[in-house]
Amino acid sequence: MDRRTALQRIGVLMGGGLSASTIAGVLGGCSAGREGERFIARTLTEGKDQLVATLAELIIPETDTPGARAARVHEFIDNMLTDWYEEEEAQAFLEGLDDLEQRVRVFGGDSFLGLNQEDQVAFLTKLEEEAYAWQNAGQDGETPFFSTIKSLTLFGYYTSEVGATQELRVMPMGEYRGDVPFEEIGRAWA
Amino acid sequence: MIPKSVRIAPRRKTYDVLVVGSGISGGYAAKELCELGLETLVLERGRSLEHGVGYVTEHKRSWEFPARNSKGSRVHKMRFAVQSRTYAFGEHTEHFFIDDSENPYVEINPFTWIRADVVGGRSLLWGRQCYRWSNLDFEANQRDGIGIDWPIRYADIAPWYEYVERFVGISGQAEGWDPCPDGEFLPAMPLNRGEQVVKERMARVHKDRILTIGRAAVLTQPHNGRGACHYCGPCHRGCTPGAYFSSQSATLPAAAATGHLTLQPDSIVHSVIYDDETGRATGVRYIDRVTGQMQEAKARIIFLCASALASTQIMLNSKSRRFPNGLGNDSGALGHYLMDHHFQVGAAGELPGLENSYYLGVRPNGIYVPRFRNVSRASARSDYVRGFGYQGGAFRPSWNRPQRGFGISLKQALRQPGPWTMLFEAFGEALPQYENHVVLDGNVTDKWGIPVLRISCTWGENEMVMRQDMMQSAVDMLEAAGATNIAPYDNFVTEGLGAEPGLGIHEMGTARMGHDPQTSVLNSHNQVHSVPNVFVTDGACMTSSACQNPSITYMALTARAAHFAADELKRLNL
Repeated sequence: MDRRTALQRIGVLMGGGLSASTIAGVLGGCSAGREGERFIARTLTEGKDQLVATLAELIIPETDTPGARAARVHEFIDNMLTDWYEEEEAQAFLEGLDDLEQRVRVFGGDSFLGLNQEDQVAFLTKLEEEAYAWQNAGQDGETPFFSTIKSLTLFGYYTSEVGATQELRVMPMGEYRGDVPFEEIGRAWA
Repeated sequence: MIPKSVRIAPRRKTYDVLVVGSGISGGYAAKELCELGLETLVLERGRSLEHGVGYVTEHKRSWEFPARNSKGSRVHKMRFAVQSRTYAFGEHTEHFFIDDSENPYVEINPFTWIRADVVGGRSLLWGRQCYRWSNLDFEANQRDGIGIDWPIRYADIAPWYEYVERFVGISGQAEGWDPCPDGEFLPAMPLNRGEQVVKERMARVHKDRILTIGRAAVLTQPHNGRGACHYCGPCHRGCTPGAYFSSQSATLPAAAATGHLTLQPDSIVHSVIYDDETGRATGVRYIDRVTGQMQEAKARIIFLCASALASTQIMLNSKSRRFPNGLGNDSGALGHYLMDHHFQVGAAGELPGLENSYYLGVRPNGIYVPRFRNVSRASARSDYVRGFGYQGGAFRPSWNRPQRGFGISLKQALRQPGPWTMLFEAFGEALPQYENHVVLDGNVTDKWGIPVLRISCTWGENEMVMRQDMMQSAVDMLEAAGATNIAPYDNFVTEGLGAEPGLGIHEMGTARMGHDPQTSVLNSHNQVHSVPNVFVTDGACMTSSACQNPSITYMALTARAAHFAADELKRLNL
């Protein structure tokens, strides 16, 4: 298979030529077979799933490709908390959400979801700066909640079908080339 | 030794040969012995697995795994506490690994024992790197006055390297580098742009080293009925075309094709049965893991290929009037001189100026810088003996690299791959030390009632001094290559998990070869000195460790021993 064919094949894999919404529909339909099935949070109950979905979407927003909400990152995080994590780890995550809400009140709001988007971004910017300082100071002590939810969001997004195929590119199979002009691929491999 | 309540049901048939284990060594023994016309029974402790059909995660995408191919779940912590420590373990391979909760061992010092539990063993999971040893390695113990001399030299094994390489199919580049002799190679995989640049710049500064593409048991063209690599990436999930060598893809089918192979999974060997009258082994006792019952199997010759520590465990557990301390253990060397390669030390750096280049496909192979220390008078070190090689490669990190911020700017930044990054990771030789050893635990048994191993193993001073050079020499090469942001690393943690022995999954020694029955367990043909119809051809036989990945040497030694055993059988010496 020559390079052009390979790249065309990538195009097919990526749904080249189809509109983003068509793809989202197709992909949504084949992911975990939950078409029409409503997500019911098992650990992120009492609206916490919406808080996580909003935070994740702020971290990876919709642009010309879908964001974290469309990639169902909050569902992924709920699955991890429920099926994968130790109880204490899941508990720590939930406490992180509670702490965040507490800080929103110090910040002058009622709840994170009650803030307008500008204030949400300003608030998260503050948390990001703290996390960055923690990272530069040798990562001593407890991991800041921002770092936890950011890495879970990135992991959940870029390993999702949406993140891997629409935002990034899935590595094709068939050949290896060790020096390809970047513009022929155009995105990072997922 | 054997619980009285257990019924022993002797099998009627006496095989010519009984092979314990179906991994790299056992698979090779089975192939050779069957092709030599011998009726061969292979006992494998793991469950049955069918080539292709059993590779249940092959080509699965990340989103098709419940946790996106992670490790560290509650179940992993409970059942795979040790196996989780290796890179190869995860949602995509957990079905190949042993259940640590049923098969414990005692770590006196941190020692990671990675084990498979399926037909094909760790040959399904291995790193596929194949490097010949040279006389530099076979003469090392004698030259340095450390341990005992190898009873063989390069000339003894060279034809067998050639023999197995032709069957296995190894892609690589001939370099004419004496410490790491060339073999029979299929066309090499290409270096990528970053590696090519590093190679060229390094060559200008470091005339004492070379950088070459890894020599990998992965086919670059169809070979012996197996298909070429399609560069999907994670070989260790299994490969239906058989592009990487495993017992499943290559040796077991070849053995089966002769009509002489009987392969019996779910058979956990307990001990070798020794007949005091004849001075020969007559078979093995094993536990049928489905029924839990003890059984016996009989054969004229036994090949122990269960992996270094498992074969040694079987021998230690084979007690008789003649051998109260374990089969063939007149020397007291059985269980001692445990070695592994020490690694997880090196350096990485960024290669600026190549942003317009990327790659396509996942090459299941990296680069190799063969040993260049203590190979000549000019390269001799005063601070340590032996040497190391580098593996690694150049790549562009993707979304999982550190990237500050959140929102649109973060998403835009991660659309692009990160900077070209070159990694050199050293694999160093470890010396054979008596103190690094295993014994049977007096109290703890596994689920099958077999005494577990107590493993006591630490890196010595030579290894620790070598590690400083392993790190510094990597930095030197990166500097020569014009790399920036060079980050040296050494993951070793005293008394902790990091770069502890075992993690290299090249555990070897514990039933070493040698000239003298007073100091070694096996002779120059991997034959137990004092029990001539028992052969040990896995990593247990190794007298020193060299720094090259060992599997191809196990295969060459196994094929050599198999032909010797068949000849001896014909001459009625066995």
